[in-house]
Amino acid sequence: MSMEEVEEAREEGSHGSMFEGGVEVRVLVVDDSPVDRRVVEGLLKRSGAMFQVIAVDSGKRAMEVLGLTEGKEAEQPTVDDPKIDIILTDYCMPEMTGYDLLKAVKEQSSQKPIPVIIMSSENEPQRISRCRAIGAEDYLLKPLQTNDVLRLRDYVRPTALSPKTGTKRKIAIEMMAENSGSERRPCLAGLAVA
Amino acid sequence: MELGSLQRRYIDFTTALFREGFLDNQYTQLQQLQDESNPEFVLEVVTLFFEDSEKLLDELSRTLDQQVVDYKKVDAHVHQLKGSSASIGAQRVKNVCMAFRNFCEERNQEGCLRCLQQVRQEYFLVKSKLETLFRLEKQILAAGGSVPVLW
Repeated sequence: MSMEEVEEAREEGSHGSMFEGGVEVRVLVVDDSPVDRRVVEGLLKRSGAMFQVIAVDSGKRAMEVLGLTEGKEAEQPTVDDPKIDIILTDYCMPEMTGYDLLKAVKEQSSQKPIPVIIMSSENEPQRISRCRAIGAEDYLLKPLQTNDVLRLRDYVRPTALSPKTGTKRKIAIEMMAENSGSERRPCLAGLAVA
Repeated sequence: MELGSLQRRYIDFTTALFREGFLDNQYTQLQQLQDESNPEFVLEVVTLFFEDSEKLLDELSRTLDQQVVDYKKVDAHVHQLKGSSASIGAQRVKNVCMAFRNFCEERNQEGCLRCLQQVRQEYFLVKSKLETLFRLEKQILAAGGSVPVLW
């Protein structure tokens, strides 16, 4: 199923769309910090730009949501699979960094790669250029501001913005790993990581 | 206490928090994100911060107590604490974390232990201040008033 396929119009109540021709942008937020996940979700919901937020705590979970597993092509998503318009990922995460996730998303060839925005507390020029070099659409410094999230809509491809009828619905789904352990891999600027 | 005095107390207390550097503009940002559809947003985020920080502080104690200190691990925890304190505007905590990371890089155990003590102190201070703030807000609302908006 390609990204271009038009979704079925949602069945909703009698009230029509609150936003004429408005579209919901489905954002996958990836961050191992529960504080940051909640803050980013709050920013997205409050920005007025109609974001539907799915938040996960690891690159691994993100891959599952995206229907990607290492070494395999993207499988045919089922009707239940949430399609994602844009990925907003932290850079420093244990096991699978934002860079690893970015690489995996951009490398999968069966669909046009989803836009990926990196978030990081480190203003590291080398890190930034490394991310851009493999296709990151943008690199945002944490803590994020309202302006930052408003820019996200610019990166969503026009074909993905199919008008949906129905009410504005903001859904935030927290998908937690079973062991959200405190095992954190160092992600230090200057150390050779990825 | 009468509503007017509660609200005045709230204003004075909040102003002092910002003036003394306990909180910075990032906290104001969080307040601005709170609305009817997200009525407990600040409390939710701050509660997550409390839980996360206390976990990290315990980990830090444990890690620094080892015979051979794993400085990469220490730094990873401090990095996390720095990030979350920055996200909620807990400026003093964030600042100690920055110094803490320098000692990690130097593998300076004494420096790290000092910073741990300091960051712990700053954390519990800001925690107590925020709890007071939330308590005042609750009292104001219970008295039928609205919480003054300082931005």
